[in-house]
Amino acid sequence: MKISITRNVAATAAFLFLSAVALAGPASASQSDDAEAFINGLADKAIEALTTSDVGEAERVKRFRQMFRENFAVEDIGKRVLGRYWRRASDDEQKQYLQLFEDYITASYAKQFASYTGEELVITKTLAEGETGATVFSEIKLPGGGQKPVRVDWRLEGSGKQFKIIDLVIEGVSMSTTLNSDFGSIIRNSGGKVSGLLKVLEEKTASLKNVN
Amino acid sequence: MSSKKTALFGLAVLRPVALSILSLFLVSACATAPDPTDPEAVSEYRQINDPAEPANRAIFAVNEVVDMVVLKPAAGMYRDLVPPPVRDGIHNALNNLRSPVVLFNDLLQGEFERAGTTIVRFVINSTIGVLGLGDPASSLGFEYHNEDFGQTLAAWGLEEGPYIMLPILGPSNPRDTVGMVVDLLVDPFNWWAHNTDRDYVTYTRAGLRAVDERARNYEALEDLKRSSLDYYATIRSLYRQRRTDEIRNGDDSAVSPAPGLSTVPDGPRVRKTEEVSLSQ
Repeated sequence: MKISITRNVAATAAFLFLSAVALAGPASASQSDDAEAFINGLADKAIEALTTSDVGEAERVKRFRQMFRENFAVEDIGKRVLGRYWRRASDDEQKQYLQLFEDYITASYAKQFASYTGEELVITKTLAEGETGATVFSEIKLPGGGQKPVRVDWRLEGSGKQFKIIDLVIEGVSMSTTLNSDFGSIIRNSGGKVSGLLKVLEEKTASLKNVN
Repeated sequence: MSSKKTALFGLAVLRPVALSILSLFLVSACATAPDPTDPEAVSEYRQINDPAEPANRAIFAVNEVVDMVVLKPAAGMYRDLVPPPVRDGIHNALNNLRSPVVLFNDLLQGEFERAGTTIVRFVINSTIGVLGLGDPASSLGFEYHNEDFGQTLAAWGLEEGPYIMLPILGPSNPRDTVGMVVDLLVDPFNWWAHNTDRDYVTYTRAGLRAVDERARNYEALEDLKRSSLDYYATIRSLYRQRRTDEIRNGDDSAVSPAPGLSTVPDGPRVRKTEEVSLSQ
């Protein structure tokens, strides 16, 4: 079995994303240039804000959450991850779910940045998709050489200086698709009830926090 | 070589696989079928395509125990005790030994350029690379790629079929299971080992590969196990997505929608139409 998606890489990628304070230059040349600038800016900012060793755990978590909110289409991702069960959830459940989703992602990824060891993001190409979408293809080079770089594709929505990440595809593995399978399975095993997922999500988030 | 030996070798390789598959059917629980009047549920069931889910989960649980008791500790020790350059050497040598099988599949897929790369790599690494322990070919621009007969069958248009959890061997499907058997049977190093009564070489190699693979994914798997809500379902999804990516040789995953996106009902691209249909 070959699952060469490392969490570290996912985290590196996620945080590379995170910094979207677009350093973008003057009047944008093209959609794909803007998208690249967004990802590069995000990468720099994430490394700066999240990986410094003197950041305390609580502060790192806080910063991660903020970057996640600013640079990811959190609500759209959350909805897509819930898939067909989104419409089955009551208004209350939807609200609770989106909050738990953010908490869960923050709890699973924030601490990954603590173990950053100099991975480097290199953009290999960018495809504009219509006027409001783009995919930035990148490779994350692991330090020390010898190891193959990890392919990470950033799927974006937006234009100009306003981009949001809608999915992250690492070596062909989409985060949304994987979470969709994971969450969907929990719901089906709870008799199709979204409330079953909310409970598990809450427990899991709590246990992830306790590990620290 | 005698045909008797051929048959024996085939049997030796096939028996564990056949037993594995058989045991799947012995634990003959089936996934709960969806409500046929609910088209969304039916399409979800087809998409998950894991009709033997309860049996698969049972086998997965056993595999997890085996991993916990044998493979994970072995991989941990391997990582802690064997210095990185030695581990890299072993990894390179294992990749090098796969060359004939990779070449076989490159050719069957009509990937002649990649076949050339495989040959050049094998020649360089087996000689200058000292029995494949080094990988000078990569620095010359001939990088490693993997191929297997499961991917060849996919390239020929064969569907993967339902998800299967094989005992010990892990996630698979009928296409990849057949592929695995064919790869074992065509591997000249396995033939050599068998015909010279050195089958232990084949087993050692398989064991090393398992430990190497597990050690390389050590953190990733531990993280996944810790953070996923349903580890089984997560692995199932990862396996499928990785295979799709391998079959496409990692090309342009974004030219088409990301894997699975189009099949998730509430994706942004689909939402508009759904809103329309809901308002009707």
